[in-house]
Amino acid sequence: MAGELRYAYYPGCVSQHMTRETNDSTRLVARKLGIGLYDMPRANCCGAGLLTDYDYRLYLALNARIFAEAEAMEMDIMTICSTCLMVMSTANRDLRRDPRLLEETNKVLAAAGLHYSGKVEVKQFLWVLAGDYGLERLGEHVTRPLGWLKVAPFYGCHSLRPSDALGFDDPEKPWSLEATIRALGAEPVEYRGKSKCCGFQVDLVAERTATRMTGVRLLEGKRNGADCFVTPCPFCHINLDNYQGLAEKAVDERIGMPVFHLSQLVGLAMGLSPRDLGLSRHLVSPEKVLK
Amino acid sequence: MEIKFSIRRHDPMDGENPGPYYREYIVDAEEGMTVLEALLKISEEEDPTLAFRRSCRSAICGSCAMTVNGFARLTCSLQVIPEYQKMGAMRIEPLSNHRTIKDLVVDMAPFWEKMEKVAPFLMPAGGSEGNPVSIEDQAGIDESQRCIMCGCCNAECNSLEIDERFIAPAASAKAWRFVGDVREGHRGKRLERLSEEHGIWDCVRCIHCTQYCPKDVKPLKQIESLRSAAMKEGVLDNPGARHVEAMADSVERFGRLDEAAMTFRTLGFLRSVGMIPLGLRLEKHGKMPHPYIFPQIMEIDEVRAVYDEIEKKYGLKPKKEG
Repeated sequence: MAGELRYAYYPGCVSQHMTRETNDSTRLVARKLGIGLYDMPRANCCGAGLLTDYDYRLYLALNARIFAEAEAMEMDIMTICSTCLMVMSTANRDLRRDPRLLEETNKVLAAAGLHYSGKVEVKQFLWVLAGDYGLERLGEHVTRPLGWLKVAPFYGCHSLRPSDALGFDDPEKPWSLEATIRALGAEPVEYRGKSKCCGFQVDLVAERTATRMTGVRLLEGKRNGADCFVTPCPFCHINLDNYQGLAEKAVDERIGMPVFHLSQLVGLAMGLSPRDLGLSRHLVSPEKVLK
Repeated sequence: MEIKFSIRRHDPMDGENPGPYYREYIVDAEEGMTVLEALLKISEEEDPTLAFRRSCRSAICGSCAMTVNGFARLTCSLQVIPEYQKMGAMRIEPLSNHRTIKDLVVDMAPFWEKMEKVAPFLMPAGGSEGNPVSIEDQAGIDESQRCIMCGCCNAECNSLEIDERFIAPAASAKAWRFVGDVREGHRGKRLERLSEEHGIWDCVRCIHCTQYCPKDVKPLKQIESLRSAAMKEGVLDNPGARHVEAMADSVERFGRLDEAAMTFRTLGFLRSVGMIPLGLRLEKHGKMPHPYIFPQIMEIDEVRAVYDEIEKKYGLKPKKEG
């Protein structure tokens, strides 16, 4: 077996604040699994796509600043947010495939005394489990298999596309989340919306689109027999859980669907307590699906 | 290799059996055969009632876009065997987000109406004597000119799926083709129209348009270009632009996203008050975003230096409105 897995840990802004239960539970689970997560105290926000709208060059430079910190740590980045994953990976793709762009960006970074040479890889927790760590090895830590649970995997859009920047899973035939659910002893539920958008990017801009989109995704999973949802993305979690009440109004139907962060579902199967995993912080109580 | 095609049949004009239903056909697929060639074979040899559009068979005309195994594809440039080997099925349906006329033929009228809305023609400023266009100028709009109007992007658009009035990716990319053209004389007016409700700021950034465009138009990138251009043009009085401004300010000040300030600045005072009931529920679960409770990141001065350098080198701040 290879040496300890070590990552420069980038939880993202939302997971340090509104959905901090996913940050806390990821740290717990990683420690039990022996995955080394090393803090990035200087890391700035990736911009969540909004800085790309504001100014492409600023977006590239600020993301390169994040990569420069990881490069100095001599580690790849692991994030627990699909949007951070997509935003950072897209910047990294652009910088690596265009040497002139990398050079121009480095000229901007030089004003802050920094440099990025293009060596960092960006991954998310799901990929680390299903890839670097391995699901078989994860299975060895499952002490409480979730055999009674039918789980709707909700990839959301940013963990699969654009595939030329991300590259780990297949956007038309994703497998990593289903395989992880199986490794935890639970049964994945199939539905078309699993790799579509939750709507969060327009929560504040086009609320009707956002809440309806969230409702449509939840209802589809529910109709296909899901007891609960699991997502690798805190933004998806905000829409699916925090805003589920608004989504119910938008689709005019009661849903009542508990939604887990990936780290929480893994933690449950490893025997961690609902309390340690921060389940009480959810707006839709997952109590009814816990045994 | 014999492959089973499952094709969605639907004929609203058929009084007895309109469908929709799925009919299966077995096609003996040769190496290199495209999905369109397989459909032509079915129509010629087995079932002439199967309706679908096609013309050039060379990925130029944009007629033969359909949903293959759940995703919008140009069937003339998709080979049967690799697709079948990857997906384990061959399910053919009409484009999503469009009304079916018959079988695999959809109504493209809404697609063209959206196109017309963005005035897809150049409107140079009056009295100009012609503008030289450099290679660099041209490069900025090259991608948007590759569009063959097949409709794959709109069929995949997650926002359009929910809101049929959304301008959607195809027309947005077309809009950038003119907004980004140095000869265009009505950039500001166009950007104002595009920033209205159901316009460019309603895109949910699902990236499906860019992923499934068969000509690499990258509609999302063109939408991002339109958003940047709108803000630099001073079109700021809308929730989308306010949202981005709040983010840019938050990152410059703290190095991080400040959720509470983002909400307040995007929605304004009155609509923020409307969020109070939800806020109380969030508070109960410890989820209410409180402003400024998190510390700044370390070395925030580096972030500010990056902002300053971009401003100095390229210009960053939007022009003031009015």
